[in-house]
Amino acid sequence: MAAITLTGVEKRFGETRALRETDLEIDDHEFLVLVGPSGSGKTTLLRLVAGLETLTGGEIYFGDTRVTDVDVGDRDIAMVFQNYGLYPHMSVYRNMAFGLRRRGLGKQVIDLKVRQTADLLHIGHLLDRKPRQLSGGQRQRVALGRAIVRDPAVFLLDEPLSNLDAHLRVQMRAEILKVHRAVTATALYVTHDQVEAMTMGDRIAVMNEGVIHQLGTPDELYDRPADSFVAGFIGTPPMGFLTCERIREAGTEQLRAAGARFRLPPETVTALPPGASRLVIGVRPEHLRLVPPAEAEAAGCALQGVVEVVEPLGSEQHVLVAMGGSAITAKLPRDQRLNRDDKVAFTVSPDHLHVFDPESGRALR
Amino acid sequence: MSLTVDKPVPEQPAGRAAAGTGRRRWRPSVGRSIVIVLVGLFGVWTLWPMYWMLSTALKSAKEATNLSPTVWPHTITGANFHELFGGTLPFSTYLVNSVLTSLIAAAVAVLISTLAGYSFSRGGYRLTSAASLVVLATQMLPLVVFIGPLYLLLLRAHLLNTYLGLIIGYTTFAIPFGAWMMKGFFDAIPREIEESARVDGYSRLGILFRVVVPLSVPGLVTTGVFVFMNSWNNLLYPLTLVSSNSRQTLPPGLLQSFSGTFKTDWGGMMAASLITSLPLVIAFFLVQRSMVRGLTAGALAGT
Ligand SMILES: Nc1ncnc2c1ncn2[C@@H]1O[C@H](COP(=O)(O)OP(=O)(O)O)[C@@H](O)[C@H]1O
Ligand SMILES: [Mg+2]
Repeated sequence: MAAITLTGVEKRFGETRALRETDLEIDDHEFLVLVGPSGSGKTTLLRLVAGLETLTGGEIYFGDTRVTDVDVGDRDIAMVFQNYGLYPHMSVYRNMAFGLRRRGLGKQVIDLKVRQTADLLHIGHLLDRKPRQLSGGQRQRVALGRAIVRDPAVFLLDEPLSNLDAHLRVQMRAEILKVHRAVTATALYVTHDQVEAMTMGDRIAVMNEGVIHQLGTPDELYDRPADSFVAGFIGTPPMGFLTCERIREAGTEQLRAAGARFRLPPETVTALPPGASRLVIGVRPEHLRLVPPAEAEAAGCALQGVVEVVEPLGSEQHVLVAMGGSAITAKLPRDQRLNRDDKVAFTVSPDHLHVFDPESGRALR
Repeated sequence: MSLTVDKPVPEQPAGRAAAGTGRRRWRPSVGRSIVIVLVGLFGVWTLWPMYWMLSTALKSAKEATNLSPTVWPHTITGANFHELFGGTLPFSTYLVNSVLTSLIAAAVAVLISTLAGYSFSRGGYRLTSAASLVVLATQMLPLVVFIGPLYLLLLRAHLLNTYLGLIIGYTTFAIPFGAWMMKGFFDAIPREIEESARVDGYSRLGILFRVVVPLSVPGLVTTGVFVFMNSWNNLLYPLTLVSSNSRQTLPPGLLQSFSGTFKTDWGGMMAASLITSLPLVIAFFLVQRSMVRGLTAGALAGT
C-alpha cells in the first residue's frame, strides 16, 4: 500500500548539499532505520519524505503515486519529532484527536480511537493532562500515540528516543517495534545511535555527508560493510584500521604494518587489485584473540602491541592497544588480566579480516 | 490492535523537580537597608505627583487654591467629578471618543499585527527580511513627520474629523510596532509544533488560529495594551486630524481646557486628569504579568 521510492532525490540549502542524489526503496510495512553521525542529512531526508521540505531534485513515490508535489497534510504520513512537538495548550486527549478532527471523523469514532491508542501506550490515565504536566517518557508516548492514532500509511520518526535516559530508551525501543507491528505502517526511523539502528531496523541505511553509504540488513552491515565508513560506524567498540604495506615473497603475499602481519590466503589475494601496494586492514575488536607471543609468531595473522587503556565493563573488557603509530581496540573476556604497558599479542582468523582501498575506502573483500 | 506492551516505569513529572528549592531566609544587612531606602525615595519621587493629582481632585475649589496648600483634603468632595460630567466642558464626549478610537485601533492593530508578524516570523519568502526591516525603519522616524502626509491623505479621502481617520492615524504607527512585537512572540514558538499541525492536515491559517494564536495570548494582550496606551496618549494626531469638538479626544480636549475652562479650576483639572489616567493604570495592572513575560519571551525554550 505504501512502499516509498526515492529517485535521484537531492536537497541543497544554498551552498550546503544536505542530501546528494539519492535512490532509496523502502518496502511496504518495512521498518527502515537511517543512521549516521550528526549533520549527515538524516533529518533532511526524513523531512523530504514528509513533505516538510521541498526537493531541489528528484522524485518521491508512495506506492505508484508520485508525491513530490503533494502537500504534507495530504501525504497520509505521521511524524514523531525529536522534541515531540506536542501542542502545549491542548490536553493529551486533544493532542491525539487534533488530526482526526481535521479528517472530519465523528466524535464517537475519534473517542474510540484515542482511547484505544492511549491504552496501547499506557497513557489512558493521562488524557486530561497538558504536556507540561508529563515526564519525558510520557511525552514520548503521547507523541507516538498522536502519530499512530491516525493510522497513517507512512510513519516517520526523527531520533524519538534521544531525549530519554538510557534505561527508558531500551524500553521504548521494544515498545516502538511492537507498536509498529500493530499498525503495520511503513516506518522510516532516524537515529545517530548505531545500537538503536542494529536492534530495531529490518534494514538500515548508513548515511554520511548527504550520501547513503550502504543499505542492508544489520547482519549484512556488520559482516560485509561496503566501505571503511560503514565498517567504522557499525559495531561497538568500532573496528580498528591499520594501513599496511603489501609484500610479495616466495609466491605468498603479506600485508605488514608496525606490529602487525597478515598472511593472506590465496582466495583473498585474487580478490585484491593487483597493482595496489598499500591496503587498509580492518579488524573488529571481538575477533582478536589474546595469545602467548610464541603462538603469535607462528600464526598467519598476528598483531603485537602495548596496552594503553583497559576499560572493564563487567562481563568483558575493552583494551586499547598501541601498535607503532596506530592503535586498535580488543574486546576480551574479563578473566584475561591485563595492565597498562603490558606487552600483548593477538591472532585473528583471516576470514575475519576486512580489506579496504586506502584512497576510496571501498571494501575490497 | 490487541496487543500489550510492557508497563512503563513510573517517572517523576518533569516540572516537579524545580519546585522543591525553598526560598532563602530574609536577613537584614546594611546593603539591603540602603537599597530599601533608595527604592523608597524613588517610589515617593514617582508617586507624589499622582498623589497630588488624586488629592487635589478631591478638594473643594477653595481648598485647592489655598495659598498654604494642604497635603490631604480636609473636606473630601465629589464636586469636581460632578462638574466634569455636567458642566460646560464636553468631557464625556472626549472620554467616549477616546475609548472608542483607542479600543478599535487596538483591535485592528492586533489583528493586522498578528498576520504581519506571523508572516515576518515564518514567511520564508524572499522579501521577508527586507520587508520587515523597512517596517522597522518607520519606527525610527518621529511621529510628527507622518502628520503632513497623513493630513493630506485623509483630507483627500474626506476622513478628517472622523473616527475612522483617527483610527487609521493611530494604526499607521501601531501596526509596524505591533507586527515586530508579535514576530518576537511567534519566533519563540518551536517550529515542530506547527509542523505537527501541518502533518495533521491543517492549513496555514488553520495553524495560525488554532495553534499559534492560542500560544501567543500574552503577546496579543501585550500588543493590544501597548497600542491602546499609545492611542490613548496620542495628542498630536487628534490635535491635527480633528478640529470639531464633537470628535475630539481627551488629550487635546484637556490641553485646550487647561488654558480655558480649567485656568483657575485646579480641582476640575485634576479630576479630569485622574479619569484620563485611570484606564492606563488599570490596563497596566491587568496585563503587567503577561507583559513582563512578553518582553522576555524567547529567552528560554518552552516559556
Ligand atoms: N534549514 C536548513 N538550512 C540550512 N542548512 C541546513 C538546514 N537544515 C539542514 N541543513 C544542513 O544540512 C546538513 C544535514 O542536516 P540534517 O539533515 O539536519 O542532519 P542530521 O539530521 O543527520 O543531523 C547539515 O550540514 C545542516 O547544517
Ligand atoms: Mg537530525
